Amino acid sequence: MSAPAVDLRQITKQFPGVLANDEVDLTVERGSVHALLGENGAGKTTLMNVLYGLYRPTGGTVVIDGEPRTFDSPRDAIDAGIGMIHQHFMLVEPMTVTQNIVLGNEPQKWGGLAVDRERAREAVAELADRYGFDVDPTATVEDLSVGEQQRIEILKALYRGADVLILDEPTAVLTPQEVEELFGVFDELTEAGKTIIFISHKLSEVTTAADAVTVLRDGKDVGTVDADSVTDTELAELMVGREVLFDTDKPPVELGDIGLATRDLVVEDDRGVRAVDGVDLQVAEGEVFGIAGVDGNGQSELVDALTGMATPAAGQVFLGNEDVTHAPRRQRIDDGMAYVPEDRQARGLVMSYDLTENGLLGSQRDPQFASSGRIRWDDAETHADDIIEEYDVRPADADAAAHSLSGGNQQKFIVGREFARDPDAVVASHPTRGVDVGSVEFIHDQLLGLREEGTAVLLVSSKLDEVRGLSDRLGVMHDGELVDVVDPEEITEEELGLLMAGERPPDVPKATRRVGGEAQ
Amino acid sequence: MRPSPTRRLAGLGAFVLAVIMLTAIVELFPNTVVGAAIGGALATAGSILGIMDSAYAASALRLSVPIAFAALGGIFAERSGVINIGLEGLLILSAFTGVAVAHWLTGDGTTAVGPGIVLLLVIAVLLAVAGALLGLLGDTTGEIAVRAGGGVLATAALAGLTVALAGPTLAATWLAFYTAVLVSTAFALLFAVVTIEYRADQVIAGLAVWLIALGVAPFASNVIWGAVNSPGVDTLGTWTVPGLSELPVLGTVLFNAGPVVYFLLLATPLSWYVLAHTSFGYWVRASGENPKALDTAGVDVRRVRYAAVLLSGVFSGIGGAGLSLGRVGSFVGSGTTMIDGRGWIGITAMLFGNYNPFGAFGASLLFAALDALQFRLQQLNYAVPDSLMQTVPYVTVIIVLALVGRTRTPDAAGEHYESDED
Amino acid sequence: MNPDRLPGPIAGLMGRLVDASAGERLAVSVAALLTAILIGGVVTLVAGVFATCSDPILGPFCYNPLAVYRYLFLAPLSDPFVLQETLKNSALLLFTGLAVAVSFRAGLFNIGTQGQLVLGALAAALVAVRVGPAAPDGAVGGVLIAGVAMLAGAVVGGLYAAIPGALKAYADANEVITTIMLNFIASDVAFFLVSAYFQKPGSGSVETRDVPAAATFGPGLALAMAVLLVLAVTYLLWGTAFGYDLRTAGIQPDAADYAGVDAKRMMVTSMTLSGAIGGLGGAVWVLMSVGRWVNGVPALGFDGITVSVLASNNPLGVLFAGPLFGSMQAGSLSIDFQLGVPRQLVGVIRGLVILLVAMPELFRTLGVRWGMGGVR
Repeated sequence: MSAPAVDLRQITKQFPGVLANDEVDLTVERGSVHALLGENGAGKTTLMNVLYGLYRPTGGTVVIDGEPRTFDSPRDAIDAGIGMIHQHFMLVEPMTVTQNIVLGNEPQKWGGLAVDRERAREAVAELADRYGFDVDPTATVEDLSVGEQQRIEILKALYRGADVLILDEPTAVLTPQEVEELFGVFDELTEAGKTIIFISHKLSEVTTAADAVTVLRDGKDVGTVDADSVTDTELAELMVGREVLFDTDKPPVELGDIGLATRDLVVEDDRGVRAVDGVDLQVAEGEVFGIAGVDGNGQSELVDALTGMATPAAGQVFLGNEDVTHAPRRQRIDDGMAYVPEDRQARGLVMSYDLTENGLLGSQRDPQFASSGRIRWDDAETHADDIIEEYDVRPADADAAAHSLSGGNQQKFIVGREFARDPDAVVASHPTRGVDVGSVEFIHDQLLGLREEGTAVLLVSSKLDEVRGLSDRLGVMHDGELVDVVDPEEITEEELGLLMAGERPPDVPKATRRVGGEAQ
Repeated sequence: MRPSPTRRLAGLGAFVLAVIMLTAIVELFPNTVVGAAIGGALATAGSILGIMDSAYAASALRLSVPIAFAALGGIFAERSGVINIGLEGLLILSAFTGVAVAHWLTGDGTTAVGPGIVLLLVIAVLLAVAGALLGLLGDTTGEIAVRAGGGVLATAALAGLTVALAGPTLAATWLAFYTAVLVSTAFALLFAVVTIEYRADQVIAGLAVWLIALGVAPFASNVIWGAVNSPGVDTLGTWTVPGLSELPVLGTVLFNAGPVVYFLLLATPLSWYVLAHTSFGYWVRASGENPKALDTAGVDVRRVRYAAVLLSGVFSGIGGAGLSLGRVGSFVGSGTTMIDGRGWIGITAMLFGNYNPFGAFGASLLFAALDALQFRLQQLNYAVPDSLMQTVPYVTVIIVLALVGRTRTPDAAGEHYESDED
Repeated sequence: MNPDRLPGPIAGLMGRLVDASAGERLAVSVAALLTAILIGGVVTLVAGVFATCSDPILGPFCYNPLAVYRYLFLAPLSDPFVLQETLKNSALLLFTGLAVAVSFRAGLFNIGTQGQLVLGALAAALVAVRVGPAAPDGAVGGVLIAGVAMLAGAVVGGLYAAIPGALKAYADANEVITTIMLNFIASDVAFFLVSAYFQKPGSGSVETRDVPAAATFGPGLALAMAVLLVLAVTYLLWGTAFGYDLRTAGIQPDAADYAGVDAKRMMVTSMTLSGAIGGLGGAVWVLMSVGRWVNGVPALGFDGITVSVLASNNPLGVLFAGPLFGSMQAGSLSIDFQLGVPRQLVGVIRGLVILLVAMPELFRTLGVRWGMGGVR
């Protein structure tokens, strides 16, 4: 048997204050698909960045094809036949497919005075042909779908002579059907002798697509298993180190009037494309309405229109029974809408402000903190201290600047601030993204608490277990449309996947709740 | 909604075409019914058409030199991700340097070419050393030596060739021109170091370059001449293309012009070609849109950005010295200097032209045409006061900016880029 | 500073104003200023080689940088005329520095303070000349005229700054370019208006009639007004919800949107505020310095940029940076007259300071290398 394509031995990577990798071993056989499994922050991406030459390891050896190597930069890793497809694509959007693929290695003509576009196009077409990729070399990248862009990234690596392809969470942005296509591409590639390493935290994918799985937990590798013989439960236990029981208890709640609603809502993005296309939804007081869907199918734009961050092109938005379609954000805040934004570092917090000032964000004119325009900083600081205490924000210091907090603590502070408004309606967009497990449960409890108090809650999340566990009714968005509203307890993961891909499987269990006396 | 590039280009094209056509008509049929009809129909403000002759077109082209070169320079810098709003300052510095060196070499009725060559080579060597120290010229000693030596030798060859071909006074003026371009490049290098190496805010640093130039040029003028304005020096003259210059209209406009006008007519398509068809052009665009993509493709973003900013210095140098040595023959340092906002207008031309060299050239021509109109009307003693006429190009810039609105700026423009390596 | 020990509202305000990074910014500003002075000295020395003079200080060097800086910073102490000029310049630079600081805090690069000042000054002069005969005699009339004139300056300056603000908000036009264009336009239009309609009879230069003497005042009062305005703006920015909105819009526009700030309106409002302060500076220039509007308004607006940048756009910092440059501007006349060094040298230093303050990274690197804990 030949030497393994990649052999990482005792890799350690120490960042200031964080031990990201702790003596990790990883052996990947040539021509195989190897999955790297672990929770967020387990050290998967760090390990792959070491292999790709982006980080130099603190300890350990990288062995490629039996030869120990030292990579000073990605350039060295590329020369050793390693290619990486990052989670955020490294593509130049206004440039063509061909230009992107050959970037940095352009074929030349006229003694280097011009790029030989003909030869470049042929090379790309030939490469695409060899691996059965259906791409148009002359298309502009920004016009392509996410799945197509991912294939361009793969071609880019292959063009540079990659034998080992590293994919960082390749399925995170894909529909279930696109995921299947990707796994088909894996087969093509391994048949041609390429080796694939992919990072994932989804159990089902790993067992479907991989030959072998290495599980990382808290920077350590906790074992490599054969993907065919391992069960999901065993993998889950390896991942979290304890048995996972994820079941949220939801007492029945008397529904009130409609708290939040849209009618025929249309929102256009910057390019004039309909990102939200005719969405009707109603969230009753005392109800959690979940929105599931692959990221980028109009959820962000829907949230923007609901919260007043964007003006819809058509249709209406209601807060209670008031039409707030054109009401400014200020009015919606005053009318009792709380909003946990998706991007906490751009919207939810002012990074250079301390927590006292951040606690005011949105409430800076609230009589609770300001009298006739003058801010009472004492009250603001007390308010921040209250949030810090209740939500266990660390460091527990109202004078700490927001940027000095970890992502999870930033998120807890935002959630705390928004829920402390005593809102009538809540729009929560990915409220637990990047938050540690303990805090996730706490935030979930708070959300359900609001529900019991009779607040209308709209919850957008890409975590399926989260939206299914918390929602009373679950809407699925695809391509800007609300494909269906289903009963989260009855629907199967497979049916949900089809809906998320825009298809309508027969006999989907509809949500049957009655809202505000009106049948849905 | 932002206007599409095609619409923008179409608009520009229409304008340029209209000017050329009007000029041609009036020139070719001065006394015919057609000419009179068009003249009568369009000459709302007196006989504006009478002003739009080929001399007017030629003067618009001449006036577009500093604007268009600044715009071309701005295109390279900004498309690579560095917003260089110091262009105005670079124009001022090169306009001053050109005249100062020319005056030094040719003043007092004598001409000294030798010191000019020495000065030029000293600056070239200093630039080469700076480039080598910054690690811009390569990784190995051999590579660095070849490139630095090559650059200095090329400068020497250019100087030698100039002296061989031109008479002593003209050669001295050309040497002053080259020196001005190198000085502008050196200042662009300073700006690049400040923004790329030391992560300065690009807008503030660009303002600083402008304000420094606004102080340095009149200061140095005062030191040398005892006044903010310089005495007159010789210009680079005109190049007349034999035969072609006899053509009606085009002959006057295109084939009997100052050398810098020819440079501009060459630099515009060349810039477009470099951006669209060469590896360097690909890298510049990638560096401005998604530097990480370029970095992970194994190209040094830092070097690409340095090169682009230096190019903006070269272009601004040609534009600034092209104004002072190519046309005016002196340096005016009072008030906002002889550059008088042309660098800022160049930035607007760049935006209006949507970062496309041809578009920027067309937009520059538009602004220059307004400038020329103002000069002509003043010459013809129209009743409109000078000081109001002078505002026309500035007002137009504001209107254009308001109409163009947001252009598709490169995604990473203005952002510092740090490679991930630790 | 521990805010807890100060009385309630002031403690809160001070705590907001002086955060953890204030010390670092102060260190950077001081280092940048010293470096600029050093480079300016070298420039002076080298420039002296090219100048012609009868008694060089040493060899080919005509200019003595030490003498230059002695005049720039110490002349006010020995020369009453320079002291007077310093106080005037300081007052004016407090206004323009504050004007620039307000816009920069709001995230807008208002380079147009110069133009706003020019037009504000013109409006003040014209109003004072017009109102003058109608006002009662004596001090009451003077106060009345000055008040109306300053109001006119502020209004015109504010309106003129609202133009680029509105263009930025509603047409997405880059404010750096529009404000610079408006500077050119302001001086041309002012020149035209005065020469065509408001020319002082019998004068060779382009200037308006003199404002009534009762309305003019000295630098002491101007300084007092400027300091009061600085304190008021400080309170506005850090003590009120409006200030919170303005700062948030400037530092993180997305978060301001999120907090319900109408970003577009804030652009117009903050530019108007900045322009009004600049216009007020113009009115003070007319009433305190020249007694009329005269062509060739000094570049107070550009100096204001330097003052503000040096002060990290902090109003309280402006209180120190303003007089510093006020002294340099006043001293620049002396170096010209006494030493023959062109006064434009101060313009060079002005640019250098901005360039150096813009690159804190340089001083951090140096600070770390020289083991100075104070900087980082």
